[in-house]
Formats: sequence, structure tokens, C-alpha cells
Amino acid sequence: MTHSMAQFMRRCPFRLRPRVLAAALGGALAIAGSALAADPDLPGFIHDGTLTVCTNPTLPPMTFVNGTDVNAVDGIDMDIAHRLAEYWHVPMVVTTMDFTGLFPSLAAQRCSMVASGIIKLPDREKNFDAVSYQDTALVVVARAGTPPLSSMTDLSGKTVAVQSGTSYSARLAKENEALAQAGRAPIIIQQYPTEDQVVQQVLIGRVFAFASQDVELYYRQEQLHGKVNVILVPPYPEYRHFALYIRKNAHDRELLEQAIATMGQNGQMAAIQKKWAISPDAAKALAHTPPAPMFRWDTFFSALTSTAFMRGAFITLAVAVLSHFTAIMISIPMALALNGRDSLLKMVLKGYVSVFRGAPTLLQLLFIWNALPQFLPVFREAWFTPFLATWLSLSINESAYQVEINRAALGAVDKGQELAGDALAMSRRQVYRHVIFPQALRIALPPTINEFISLLKTTSLASVISLQELLAVTQIQVARTFEFTEYYAAALVYYLGMVFFFLFLQKRVERRFAWADRHKATANES
Amino acid sequence: MNPDPKSMPDPSAMISVRNLSKLYKDFIALDRISFDVQRGEKIVVLGPSGSGKSTLIRCFNRIEPHDSGILSIDGQVINAQSDLTQLRATVGLVFQNYNLFPHLSVLDNCTLAPRLVKKTPRAEAEAMAMRFLKQVNIAEQANKYPIQLSGGQQQRVAIARALCMQPEVMLFDEPTAALDPEAISGVVAIMNDLAQQGITTLCVTHEMGFARHIADRIIFMDKGRILEITPPAEFFTNPKTQRARDFLDQMISY
Ligand SMILES: Nc1ncnc2c1ncn2[C@@H]1O[C@H](COP(=O)(O)OP(=O)(O)OP(=O)(O)O)[C@@H](O)[C@H]1O
Ligand SMILES: [Mg+2]
Repeated sequence: MTHSMAQFMRRCPFRLRPRVLAAALGGALAIAGSALAADPDLPGFIHDGTLTVCTNPTLPPMTFVNGTDVNAVDGIDMDIAHRLAEYWHVPMVVTTMDFTGLFPSLAAQRCSMVASGIIKLPDREKNFDAVSYQDTALVVVARAGTPPLSSMTDLSGKTVAVQSGTSYSARLAKENEALAQAGRAPIIIQQYPTEDQVVQQVLIGRVFAFASQDVELYYRQEQLHGKVNVILVPPYPEYRHFALYIRKNAHDRELLEQAIATMGQNGQMAAIQKKWAISPDAAKALAHTPPAPMFRWDTFFSALTSTAFMRGAFITLAVAVLSHFTAIMISIPMALALNGRDSLLKMVLKGYVSVFRGAPTLLQLLFIWNALPQFLPVFREAWFTPFLATWLSLSINESAYQVEINRAALGAVDKGQELAGDALAMSRRQVYRHVIFPQALRIALPPTINEFISLLKTTSLASVISLQELLAVTQIQVARTFEFTEYYAAALVYYLGMVFFFLFLQKRVERRFAWADRHKATANES
Repeated sequence: MNPDPKSMPDPSAMISVRNLSKLYKDFIALDRISFDVQRGEKIVVLGPSGSGKSTLIRCFNRIEPHDSGILSIDGQVINAQSDLTQLRATVGLVFQNYNLFPHLSVLDNCTLAPRLVKKTPRAEAEAMAMRFLKQVNIAEQANKYPIQLSGGQQQRVAIARALCMQPEVMLFDEPTAALDPEAISGVVAIMNDLAQQGITTLCVTHEMGFARHIADRIIFMDKGRILEITPPAEFFTNPKTQRARDFLDQMISY
């Protein structure tokens, strides 16, 4: 371990070379020009005078949540983004989201730029412009004590974990082609949505190694307590630079390159690099700290009582309640129409129900968040928050299920009840309001509460569109600390607490419908 | 006794029908029915199963709209333009299976429609409901739910509920179907009571003793037609049609 770690430190030290060589010449002229003007020329990606930065804050030290406030994103990328905003004299807004959502959001014009510790790769540059700001190297990491490998082909037949959406899997696939030609077993690639899960697979021994960047691993040494070591630094020419991504625009790219070059010249870049740099000696010392206990109760309890978790739970509850309420409101007239006479409306509604029951909820969320803005530009504006998007898609989705409950409940009310209401001269509205709905409600309530409980858990899917609900909060905390068990346990306690509360409510509510049960009604009487 | 089908409806009659027909698709449920019912009269409708008895009385409050002919209630011709609220407040109907509102107490069953339709204040509606519940001998059950009552008790609640709208006509669809002889005599007493209050009653039944006891006139139906309209004494001793004779023979042999 110490040998390979030292080798790693030597070969890819946490040393940051300002990337100024190429940009310096072109930049110098521009800087001279802009020195005359009051403001540097504003790039086109700065919408409405704001620099909106999209990031997936799970890649320390580039971008991560460095505390319990999930909205406070920290890291090298954020520092650079701040300097850029200052440079252009505009305010900066950070939008956090799932890694896989970053590029679709950039395409949907929801962000000015993506700053998320992303490698500069020719493949990505086909669709977006990239400006590099930070040197790095790809490393293959395994559990402490694993002997170093001499080349990538040594990974043949072994399992390697990578973060999905990153380019590592494509690079490993290329490696596999070579292995196949040599008649050797391929590398088995497992993809995980977050970097922390990738590391966790190695820690628990499920996979042999993971691919990462030296910069990140260096930072992680503190948390990993010497549990991993670098076994290989493949001599790839790519994976050398972290880059900021913007929508394709040659002029904008030039302006961004100028800005980065200026930061390199005026020492801002060096300051950022110094701030986040940890000396190899410190890392070595940390590597010898005793291993952490199995379960840290203090972490667990402080997570339970943290405002971050309470906020997350509140958002989970709020989006579930609002979505279900809206779904019920939509589904009542829908159920009445579906129980009524055949019509065009009825056919349309049937189609609606089949589509939204048929499609996976996750797909619907992603569609509304990422695809809808392509058709309707209003949905890419700032007012369309992840909360609204979740509310919208879960309402629609849930209404397709709720309508079946409503239909069954309305159908289960004896037809004679409506006749009796009619015969007593009551109007249509009065019959529904006072006779049919109260009875349908009793029939619909237990399955509706079941639906709600299921919806409460479904909200966790919204973490992929960056809603800061309970599971997203949990994952961010885990990414920061690697204390999986403690944070997962805290989330579990919150979810179970909420679900048990609603199950209890269900029991209480059922008891209120004494009229439906002779024994209960008699018991109430006495 | 039978009015001329071509004549105009009798405006002084409580119910007056001329050539009334009702179709279900191409099935003729009521076939050119004509008769008059005077105020305060007690009519019993007899006939084999499927002869159209329920359909007939349901036409009177337009729960089943008729397809042709003239129906006049209290001097007003009833058609698609009629004020149904007014009609149904005038014509009360007690269903064969009662159709009480299970989610409401006996008292609320009785007060719901007066409060909603006639905007009667709650206290007043409840006082009236208690009066009718007393009249049908069920006042002590006012706070129970329908599910806690026996069939005969539910039946009486259904009658009280209809009476709370203070109708001038009461339609009963087999009020005695699920009752024991003692309960039947209770219903007889109630109907006599109603007649004394000047309420017109039409009652469908299969109970011959009950029919003989209560009816001023018997309407005998078969296959959607009225075959006879006669006082009970005559109908039970000397029916005019062979069909009625067969019907009575069958009833007696069971
Ligand atoms: N909604 C309907 N659709 C089609 N046919 C109907 C409908 N309601 C009643 N009928 C038919 O009309 C005829 C008369 O029915 P109705 O209920 O009036 O008979 P009834 O004399 O009351 O019989 P019972 O003594 O069995 O109650 C029956 O043949 C019945 O099948
Ligand atoms: Mg009938």
C-alpha cells in the first residue's frame, strides 16, 4: 500500500498546472482589449444576467456538499464558478442534480454551464464545448493490500465499478475489445449512480476495483482511512483534464478560455488549488489512523436530528401530500366521466390512464424534467423547480392509479342510493355530494391511504431530478462522509416513522365509519 | 269506471294517465295505460312478476320517464320540461328494498332531503322527522344507523323519510315483501292513517289479504297492460278476466 500510494503520489501529485499555455496567446490580446472596456464581453450562456451552474455534488474535492446543508455546494468547481461570476460581474446560482441529468439540463438551457468534475473527452466535445481548468489522471483503485497491476489487461475477468454517466465505462469497454481480440475474459463493468456507491462496492469487497480520478482519491484518503490503494495508473492520453462544459458556441468558448486564462495569470487559480491541496504527508498520516467502528451511533443520532434530514423528510412529505391531493382532485371527475356514457372524452381518458399506468414513474419524472423543456421552453425557466416538476409528474402518475380506486368505489355504491336521492327531489349535485360521495369515500379510503404510503416512497425517485428529498439528502451525506450504514439507517427511521404514522391514521379513520359495521355501530351506541 | 283513453286527463284527479307507454329498447314495459286516481284514494296494484307494476309507479315521479301518452299529477302535465323537484316533493316513493342511506342515522335519513331541497332549518326538520317517526312507531331508534335495524324497522324508516317531504301522493313498491304478519298489520295501520290525512296512496303488493284490506280499488296488470280496475270485493270474488282468475288461483294455492 505505502509503496503504491507513494508511487501514485509521485506520478500524479495533487499539483495543479494552470492551463494557460494554449490560451495565453489568444487570451493576452483579449485581456488587453477588455482592460480598456469596463466589463469583459459577456458570453451568451449567461441568461438573464445570471451564471447558472449545474453540478452533481458527489465528487469531492471538485464538487460536493461539505457540511450538513445540502444547498451549500463546495469544492474546486464551485470556487472557480464563483471567480468566473465575479469576473463577469454577474450573480451565480448553483443547481444540483443527478449526474445523468447534467448534460440534458445543459441542452435544455437550464444551466449556463456544467461544472461537475467532468473529464474533457473528445466524445463529449462533439455535442458540447469544453474548457479545461484542472489537470488530473485516471487511477484504478482496490482495497488496501492489493498488489499493484502492471497493465489494464491484468483486470481481465475482474469486476470494476464505475459511476454511470461517466466515460469510464466506455473506456473500459475499449479495453475489453482488446482483451477479446487477445482471447481473454473481459473486465466485468458495474455501473452505480453515485461515486460513493462505487467506492462502497470496493470497500465491502463486492468488486475488485474502481476507476476514479487522482484528485478525488487524494481527497478521499481522509475518509477512507487507508482502506484502499491505487493499483494502476493507466497511461491514457485522455482523462488528463477536468473541464467546464457549455453549449456549443465558438465565441462563448473563447470567452470562457480567456476567463480561465486570466484566473491562471492573476493567481486566483493557484489560490484555489492551494486551498484544496492536502500534503502527501498528511495523507500518509491519515492512512495509519485506526479503522472506524462498524456503526457510529453519534453520526446516526446527529443525522436523525439534523436540519438536513428534517428538511428532506419535510420535502418528501410535502411533495407526496400535494401530489396525492392533486391526483385525487383530478381523478374524481375522471372517474365520473369513465363511469358515464361512452364518448370521445372517455376514450381519451382511457388512453391517459393506460399511458401513465404503463410507463415507469422514473421515466415520467425524467421526461417531464428533461424532455418537456425541449418542446415547451417555459419549462426551462427558473420557476419550474424540481419540486414543481415532481409535483406535476407524480400528480399525473398517481391520478391514473387513483382513478381506478375512485371508479371501483363509485361503482360499489348501490344504484338504489342514487334512485332514493332522486325520489327525494334532491338535485344531481346534492345526490353526489350527500349520498354517493360519502359512501364511496369509505370504500375508497383504505386503498387510497395504501396508495399514499406507496407514493410517499416513490418520491425518492425524484432525487434523480435533483429534488432535495429525504433520499437525496441521505446520498449527499453519504457521498461526503462514506458513513453508509449510519445515514441509511437514519433515512430508514424517517421513512418508517412516516409510514407507520399513516398506517395508524388509516386504522383510526376506518373506525370512524361505524355505520358500515353493525358491531362497531352497536358498540358506539353503548 | 275506466276513462276513455282518448279523453283529456282529469284535472281534478290526483293522478290521471292517458295512453301511457314505456319502452325498454323494443320491449314494451307499459302498454297504453289509462286511469284516474282521486285524492285520498288507496289503490293497490296487483299482477304477476314482470307485468310492469314497479315501472308504472316509478313513472309517477319520473324516475322512469314515460315514452308516450299523457301523465298528469295534481292537474299538472308531467313531461321533460316539468320541474322535477316540485314533482318529487309532491310524489313520495318507498322502494321495495328501502334504499335507506347507510351512512346517516335514522334521523338524518329523514331530515336530509327537507334540509337540502326545502331548506328547512335543522331544528324544524328534526322536529318534523320525530313526529313522523313516532307515527310509524320507530321514534326510539332515531339515533341508530340503518344497519342496526330489522327489516320491518327499516321499512318504517323509509316511510317516515318519504313523509318528511310532506307529499300528497305516496307510492309503495311491495312494502310488505319482507315483513311478518304482525309488521304487515303495522303497515296497514300506517296506510289507513295516511288516507285519513288525505294522502293518496298507490301500493304494489303480492299480499292478497293486505290488498283486500287496504284497497279502495285494485288495478290488475299483465304484460304492461291494465286488465281490470275494480273494488277489491268484486276483484277477489268475481274477477272479470280469465287472466285475473288464473292469477288469483295461483296466489291462493301457494
Ligand atoms: N331498466 C330496464 N331495462 C330493461 N327492461 C326492464 C328494465 N326495468 C324493467 N324492465 C322490464 O320491464 C318489465 C316490467 O318490470 P317491472 O319491474 O315493472 O315488473 P314488476 O311488475 O314490478 O315485477 P315484480 O313483481 O317482479 O317486481 C320486466 O319484464 C322487466 O324485465
Ligand atoms: Mg316490482
